[in-house]
Amino acid sequence: MDRKCLLVIGAGVLIRLVLFTAFPSLPTILAQRVEISTPVTSYKRLQEGIYLYTHGVSPYDGGVFHQAPLLLSLFSILPPSTIVTNLLYVLADIFSAISLVQIASSGVPTVTPHHVSPRKANSWPPWAIAAAFLFNPFTIATCIARPTIVFTNTIILHAIAAAVNGRRGPAFVSIAMATYLSLYPILLLPPLLFLTYDSLKPISKPSIQAFSAISVIMLSVVLMVYFKLSHLITGSWEFIASTYGVHLLLPDLTPNVGLWWYFFIEMFDSFRAFFLCLFQLHLLIYVPSVCLRLRKQPLFALITLIGICSIFKSYPAIGDTGLYLSLLMLYNHTFPLMRYTFFLAAAILYATFLGPAFYYLWVYAGSGNANFFYAITLVWSIFNALIVADAIYAVLRDEHETERPELIGKDVVQI
Amino acid sequence: MPLFFTRGHQWLSFSPLQAFSRLVTFLILLTLADNAVADTYKEKLDLQPLSGQFLLASFNFQSHGPIEAFNKQMFQLFPRSLGQILQYTHTRELHLRFALGRWDSELWGAQPGDGQNAGGTGVETWAWVEADNDVEAEARWTSLNNALSGLFCASLNFIDSTRTIRPVMSFNPTGDYPTTNTSRLFLLHGSLPKEPVCTENLTPFLKLLPCKGKSGISTLLDGHKLFDASFQSMSIDVRPICSPNTGTCDIEIQQTVDMVLDISRSLQRRDSPVPRPRDQHELICDTSKPYASNEYCYPMDNSIDLPWSLSDLFGRTISGGCPFAVHNPAEEIPHVCIHAPESKLNTMETGEFAVSALAEGQRDLQCYMLRENVPFDISFPKQQPPISPLRQEPLLYAERSFTGHGQEHGGVKTVLRNPNPNDAIDVVYLESLPWFMKPYLHTFKARLLPAQNPEEDVISELYYRPALDRKRGTQLEAKLTVPPNSVVILTYDFEKAVLRYTEYPPDANRGFDVASAIITIPPQRRRSDGKQITTTSIRTTSLLLSLPTPDFSMPYNVIIFTSTIMALAFGSIFNLLVRRFVAVDEVQRMDLKAKIRGLIPRLKKGKTE
Repeated sequence: MDRKCLLVIGAGVLIRLVLFTAFPSLPTILAQRVEISTPVTSYKRLQEGIYLYTHGVSPYDGGVFHQAPLLLSLFSILPPSTIVTNLLYVLADIFSAISLVQIASSGVPTVTPHHVSPRKANSWPPWAIAAAFLFNPFTIATCIARPTIVFTNTIILHAIAAAVNGRRGPAFVSIAMATYLSLYPILLLPPLLFLTYDSLKPISKPSIQAFSAISVIMLSVVLMVYFKLSHLITGSWEFIASTYGVHLLLPDLTPNVGLWWYFFIEMFDSFRAFFLCLFQLHLLIYVPSVCLRLRKQPLFALITLIGICSIFKSYPAIGDTGLYLSLLMLYNHTFPLMRYTFFLAAAILYATFLGPAFYYLWVYAGSGNANFFYAITLVWSIFNALIVADAIYAVLRDEHETERPELIGKDVVQI
Repeated sequence: MPLFFTRGHQWLSFSPLQAFSRLVTFLILLTLADNAVADTYKEKLDLQPLSGQFLLASFNFQSHGPIEAFNKQMFQLFPRSLGQILQYTHTRELHLRFALGRWDSELWGAQPGDGQNAGGTGVETWAWVEADNDVEAEARWTSLNNALSGLFCASLNFIDSTRTIRPVMSFNPTGDYPTTNTSRLFLLHGSLPKEPVCTENLTPFLKLLPCKGKSGISTLLDGHKLFDASFQSMSIDVRPICSPNTGTCDIEIQQTVDMVLDISRSLQRRDSPVPRPRDQHELICDTSKPYASNEYCYPMDNSIDLPWSLSDLFGRTISGGCPFAVHNPAEEIPHVCIHAPESKLNTMETGEFAVSALAEGQRDLQCYMLRENVPFDISFPKQQPPISPLRQEPLLYAERSFTGHGQEHGGVKTVLRNPNPNDAIDVVYLESLPWFMKPYLHTFKARLLPAQNPEEDVISELYYRPALDRKRGTQLEAKLTVPPNSVVILTYDFEKAVLRYTEYPPDANRGFDVASAIITIPPQRRRSDGKQITTTSIRTTSLLLSLPTPDFSMPYNVIIFTSTIMALAFGSIFNLLVRRFVAVDEVQRMDLKAKIRGLIPRLKKGKTE
């Protein structure tokens, strides 16, 4: 942690504090944006849950609150002041930035036991990665709107930071926590296993099978502990259906930047269950293939899965995309190999600006219909998917050039 | 053939038994006829002119019968169709309301009967069902609603779990239950604010009456007139009543119709069925206006009371009394009463009906008895200046409206005003919201105007049951106190859910109706004058909630577009993952020409084979 990192983090904190204090109504406005807050992360719904919980009504016996019970107890312990809450969110972002600095400092993005990038000299310094996270408008907007996805992101980053440093315990406790908070991080388990395994000191390395088995058992035990704690807090198991059932079954069709909501609004009733299964399996199918193909760089496999989840999970928000884009900066040295950088950046900007405009036209002005916003979510999703694909291309090309340095700068094709 | 013979034989052999059973039935009926007092029936029409050219007509039909006969399915005046439904579903007390229009309490004052007979817009029903447990009560409630739906030609069968609530503080049984364990009685309440109440609900309503609308005051109830009124409400209440002295129990069915007629509109309908503007000479102009001249007229309202008669307003006269109500030797109860000074009434054909004795207590109340087969009419001559009608100040004014704009978030604001300068009033506020309207309870606030010092919470108790998507609606019940001469404003925010496209009604952009809030004023004693207030109900208007709508023509397009995007993403990622890189000059690239050239010999070969 050098002075530049501290400076960057200080500036990031300052921006957030200024936004919180200079525009007191901004958090409320942003918290109501569908692009930032989803039914499973919204701060307003969290407040409702806390209110019901502190007044003796089970928040899980209702259709509004779908967040994990430990969050509920965390916020009910906190003093009910907005300043404290805001500081908590700023603190979460600081931790995320520190984790990113740790990941960048470890050098894992460029050097792994199986692969050394020929472009490792071009990678960004840790402070730049932290800056890319802290000054990313998606991250800032997410922090100001205070959805609970901020905590999930912090914990995922902490898990990665622990994994690249070979600290197995913290990594799996954290990924269990992230899974507990928002379910989909369970998909990150296989690449995290590889990442931790690769980072272990070679002296006392167990076999990968034994390592995986122990880690999975540890993760399940920790998850069980979280569930039992939640059970103690709420006094019943109904939180499981209300929290994870919503991720899986999509009863709340509030618009978001993802592909699910409009699809399941328009879906015929008889096919609803089939397509729900299909959409969930679609996410699952990327995990083995990405892990196998990117075995040499498990960190990149993990980042790719984060990117895929941020597009195809049931309630995505721009906070997920912000996390992916910040993590992608770790592979900055491969960006010259990407093919459509300008095109993709322009398309993301296009969707970012037109999304809110089209949503306004549909919901407030009444001069557009739902297809307007739907079209923008399609654009957003496809170009995010193309970013993921293009980044995979660049990293694979980088790997390929390690194997065959004579092909640097030459045209290649895939067969 | 043998079969036929056997059947015939059986009939013959059983015939003495059947004859005997008929005899027994006849004897039972005979004994019942001896106790002819078993069922009593009374009916009453109350006419009350309201300010602003309106007339309130309250019809009340009431019959009593011993509950033992009811339980043995021996119905005299109690309608058999309804009685059997109630017995089958173990319903001990039933309240059913059909209402249209809004009671304008600013103009008309307190509602008749303390609002006990009024319902929210559309259909509202609540009942105490006897059952062992909640599940059984729910099942009986469903079958009750299905049966009533058929009986009244109303969509009561749509009262499912999402529209059913179990009020905790708002309703209390009005009947007596000396023998029933009250823990076995389940209160269920449902409302259908969208239901259009119309003639097809009135016809079954009249069929329940002993005279079926053929004689008595019910002859005035004509669908064209009733549903043309500014406000109308029909109610049916069934409850057991026990006498504290003798311990005998009766079952009571009370049917009421309250309607507020716009006199000038009714008269205009009679004079010209096709609406057209009034001629200039018919207009009464306000000449005090500076621009008043022969060309410009500022019409003046309420300068005279228009002349009317029952036949003008209802299109017909009362065709004599209902025999069941006329032959009531026990007490002389007038059938028709009008709140107006006698001197103002035209007595041309009312002389022989008048009951002067009863009117003594109240100076401005004229009452009449109906005779069988003798038509009856009242006429009310033109009054100038108009008689100022008696307007009773309501205990509470209540209004509810939506706040906010857009189809994403919204708010509800309810204004409760206590006009009494001396006494605070306790009220119970009940809301039943559909599941797709998701309120945030943490935003539920009560504000007091004028603000009191020190600030005290007006809400003393709160009962909240949150909605579950597609399973259950929200139930919100709050007990609060409205201080004298002040206003309590209740506000909360809510979120509008987006529904599946099959869940929208055909007219999706019209919006969804949200049932009226029910404000109950429990019985209490006024602190200043010690006067006892009986239970009073007030209902706000229903609300129209507009939700964001998807494009209903798009299901196939959306499925295709979304699937394409997913396939594209899947394809481009897996394309990269499963193929390997090679340099361009390492692969034999075949151009199109070479490909075709390679294809020709193969095709030729195939031909020769």
